[in-house]
Amino acid sequence: MLKGKASISAWLQPLLAILIGLIGGAIAILLIGGSVFDTYAQMWKGAFGNFYFFTNTLTRATPLLLVGLGVSIAFRAGFFNMGSEGQMILGAFTSALIALYFPGTPLFKLLAAMLGGILVGGLWSAFAGWLDARFRMNLIITTLLLNYIASLFAGYMVAYPLKDKTGSAALAQTMMVDKSVWLPKLFPGMSIHAGFIIAIVLAVALFLFIKYSSGGYEIRMLGYNPLFAAYGGVNRGRLMLYSMFASGGFAGLAGAVEVLGMQYRYTDGMVTNPGYAWSGIMATLLSGAHPLGTAVASVLLAALQTGGMGVERNTSIPLEISSVIQSLLILFITAKFGLGLWKRRKGGNSDAASS
Amino acid sequence: MQHLLDVSLFNTMIRMVAPILLAALGGAICSRVGLFNVGLEGFVLVGAFSAIVGNHLVGNAYIAVLIAVAVTVLFSLIFAYISIHLQANVIIVGISFNFLALGLTAFCLKAIFHVKGAFYDKNMVGLPKWDIPVIKDIPVLGGIVSGHSPLIYLAFVLVFVLQYFLFKSVLGFRLLAVGENPVAAKSIGIKVNGMQYLAVLICGVLCGLAGAQLSLGQVTMFTEGMTAGRGFIALVATMLGQANPLGVMASSLLFGLMDAFSIRLQGFSLPTHFTQMLPYVVTLLAMLFFRKSSYMADAQKANGSSR
Amino acid sequence: MLLQMNQITKTYGTLTANAKVDFTLREGEIHALVGENGAGKTTLMRMLYGMEQPTSGTIHMHDKTVAFANPTDAIRHGIGMVHQHFMLFPSFTVAENIVIGNEPHGVKFDRKKAALQVEALCATYKLPIDPLKKVADCPLGMQQRVEILKVLYQGADIIILDEPTGVLTPLEAKELLAIMKSLAAQGKSFIIITHKLHEVMEVADRITVLRDGKVTGTLDAAATNVEELSRLMVGRELAKTERSVLSPGATVLEVKGVSIAGKKGKPVLDRVSFQVKAGEIVGIAGISGNGQSELLQSISGLTTIDQGEIRLLGKDVAGRSVREIRESGLSHIPEDRYQWGAAKEGTVLENGTMGHHRTNRRYGLLQGKALRAMVDRFIQQFEIKARSQETKVKFLSGGNVQKLIVAREIAQNKPFLIAAEPTRGVDIGAMELIHDELLKKRDEQGAILLVSSELTEILKLSDRILVMYEGRIAGELPASEATEEQISLWMAGGEAHA
Repeated sequence: MLKGKASISAWLQPLLAILIGLIGGAIAILLIGGSVFDTYAQMWKGAFGNFYFFTNTLTRATPLLLVGLGVSIAFRAGFFNMGSEGQMILGAFTSALIALYFPGTPLFKLLAAMLGGILVGGLWSAFAGWLDARFRMNLIITTLLLNYIASLFAGYMVAYPLKDKTGSAALAQTMMVDKSVWLPKLFPGMSIHAGFIIAIVLAVALFLFIKYSSGGYEIRMLGYNPLFAAYGGVNRGRLMLYSMFASGGFAGLAGAVEVLGMQYRYTDGMVTNPGYAWSGIMATLLSGAHPLGTAVASVLLAALQTGGMGVERNTSIPLEISSVIQSLLILFITAKFGLGLWKRRKGGNSDAASS
Repeated sequence: MQHLLDVSLFNTMIRMVAPILLAALGGAICSRVGLFNVGLEGFVLVGAFSAIVGNHLVGNAYIAVLIAVAVTVLFSLIFAYISIHLQANVIIVGISFNFLALGLTAFCLKAIFHVKGAFYDKNMVGLPKWDIPVIKDIPVLGGIVSGHSPLIYLAFVLVFVLQYFLFKSVLGFRLLAVGENPVAAKSIGIKVNGMQYLAVLICGVLCGLAGAQLSLGQVTMFTEGMTAGRGFIALVATMLGQANPLGVMASSLLFGLMDAFSIRLQGFSLPTHFTQMLPYVVTLLAMLFFRKSSYMADAQKANGSSR
Repeated sequence: MLLQMNQITKTYGTLTANAKVDFTLREGEIHALVGENGAGKTTLMRMLYGMEQPTSGTIHMHDKTVAFANPTDAIRHGIGMVHQHFMLFPSFTVAENIVIGNEPHGVKFDRKKAALQVEALCATYKLPIDPLKKVADCPLGMQQRVEILKVLYQGADIIILDEPTGVLTPLEAKELLAIMKSLAAQGKSFIIITHKLHEVMEVADRITVLRDGKVTGTLDAAATNVEELSRLMVGRELAKTERSVLSPGATVLEVKGVSIAGKKGKPVLDRVSFQVKAGEIVGIAGISGNGQSELLQSISGLTTIDQGEIRLLGKDVAGRSVREIRESGLSHIPEDRYQWGAAKEGTVLENGTMGHHRTNRRYGLLQGKALRAMVDRFIQQFEIKARSQETKVKFLSGGNVQKLIVAREIAQNKPFLIAAEPTRGVDIGAMELIHDELLKKRDEQGAILLVSSELTEILKLSDRILVMYEGRIAGELPASEATEEQISLWMAGGEAHA
């Protein structure tokens, strides 16, 4: 369907970055006296070596992919939504609450929980968008600040009012969600769950939406040149709120899916400690905000992590080697971005009506 | 309340403020040349780690500080190159540098010290505590002001140094000009790129000091990710303080106080979340009410997302 | 002779901006450099200020050959330039703005001394100003004075002013002219680039007129008048185009009393009123920067007005959303194709789709086949040279992008079309094509508002001609009665004849 240079670079970019990262990683390995071949072989095995590891990688990729998809909408429209972490936290927290305390059948609770996560994440994000549209408060800063506020709020809730007081553990977390409301696992004994299917389906859907729908067209044009979009009749203010809502909604869904498919409760720090949201943002950056490319990039990033664990298990190289590779990837992408995508934010300091 | 607000609270405040203050000053300088440095977190982490490595190699805390500064400056130069020369989006570069720092320090921690998570050497001597003669005997004030590491005193001294630099010296004046209107500055022959590099370098020095204070100032150890968001708090302090050294000092003290307060509340088993939230809420409100003031407006313009 | 520019030629590839221009300047003289948009005035002065190098020709000062590699060079030789868009630092004080780059004292910035120096400067040149006031708090006329003081501080003997009165109120403009005369009496020389002839007559000693990069005359102000100057500036053969004389139909666009207040006192639009009927092309002539852009933006919904009414097909559209106005019957060829009319990173197909994406969709999905066929038609009909519909617009030449935009907007088939600078930067062939399409639309009862700084275009296409100057309609007449004299007079701010 995609023809021409655009599609090739969408796949090429993450792969090229990986290559650079691997070369850098090789240098680091050599510096501490390891064997490059061995290390990378173990990394591959750890990520894809057998079915168990492979599905593990995909499981880890799920929240990254969902966050990445959300961020790609915002980036495509030209907005630096840095608030995925807070949006994911609120989504996770809300879904846990709904799954625990709403009345109804298990299926109803499950759907309501996911919907609730999307809604709350979306609203948190749209709020920042509104502050920007209405008060011209810089989106990057507000979304960053809101991350902390969301995290602390949820942290408080699970440390005091909603804390799981059953059991001896003094962890700040909600009670466990009832088994009937869990997202089903895809294979017995494997960690991969239905959330992964949801993520893939959404990736394809988003790709189709951006490429083929009228709304997706307006988003793309808004990102390319906001004045052009305004001139063509696009309602910039409204489109901004919609894209921010969608962006936050995806992040909220990522949180909901982690709760309902993996953790089965909301625990303080479950989103911030593994750095899911920031890795999701990285996946988008790696693929140039392309939905399918983001899918590839999230699997790649997840593979780096599971591969890293494999490396640590079987060699003397620490699993942090994957952090080094990951960071070099990003550095490559940002240096490359200097010459393209993100520089075009010039031209047109319009006071055009944004109604 | 009596037990809540006492001398040791303010002593703690001063101590906790220093890394934030130093990093925030660095952020302020970068801000003043039009570079919104989101990577402060990464810079400080690199500083903290290199301070420990330096101390391990040399055995002298002071030289370790110098090493930390040198390494952080190098790190910041790469940041500068990518942002200024390659003209990459400074926000994305900042975020990447945070990741880079996390990854590199974790990897080096394992590679150099062969430990995971944290490195602690009970024989390693950190920064000394300076008891200031005369002042230390003043009731209340002495308890608050005396007995801190030299970097803490340096931090406060630097506030005034930078205030003087920016608002009284020629070089500082031209630096401000570059951030305010780079096109006009260029038309007069001011080297815009050079000024931006200088700003990032100064930021590197300040963040190096901040990191050294973190890892050598209280408990001499390095923990993975030990900056724990302080770099972002510093950024917030920069914005609240309007990128003005004195203002930054005020907002950093506010945040430091909140931080110390939170720890004290923990001692009483009271929730700390809302005091911890305060800096962010205050900043949001400040952005709302001061949005017309030229400083915020410039940050808007530089990284404008309003479309 | 203080300054002599001999046979200056500047070419950019195949485009000649200046052709063998001779220009001289005496001490204590005010020399005006006049011409239309694109006549070559700014290019000539950029070479004098070291921002560009001449392709051929020489520059002499005090009979010695000089060459300026950059502005610092020019400044060192005593040439200062006050740009059209001020190069000031709003949050700094007047004194700081004036001394920047040459601050008193090495390391410490002695602001007190700077203020004293500025005060001394003001006294010497009799240009009072408060050195401690923040530039942001100064009205534009005062800001300009700061710019002038800045170049004086840098030691300028020759001061170039580029369109200095554009942002000034009439009072401030008068003050500026007085300042110029006062400084000239003290031995400073001025080169003023402008298109406003009544100001020129008031202040200049000599005038050099440029047209299409060539000098059409260098005259003593005392020996000439506005009419002669405007003829030298603009003089065109009235293009005799074959045009069917249609009787215009119903009023499509009505603009009544539209005003937009400007910052610091000068209105951007001043009670503009006119109509455009079906089957006619109304052309607005005028040097760009006299309110045309803001007028078009108000009509198309991209900006709001302070007073007045705008009606499209009888419906009140002032302040409505762009989309509503478009749906009410507007199509728009914007004056800056890259700023408003296209997305450089988008493909030809994507750019051609804008505005058509709402009419070619089903269940929210774009009807790709129909849109591709439509863009194909554009490419055929307008002979757009692009490798494929998937080529990014940034790889197309300016002329081809313009053709795409014109095709797209005409295909909207709306009763009203705004055509702003429709053939700017476009080659002859494309120009003819676009002109033919505009005339065709008019013949089909379309109502077209044409805005152009190219008088030939206005004269060729319009049924009625309006001239805008400083936000007002300076004059109006039917094409059959139009003479270059009258129109160029209005364009340059001259008075209408009875």
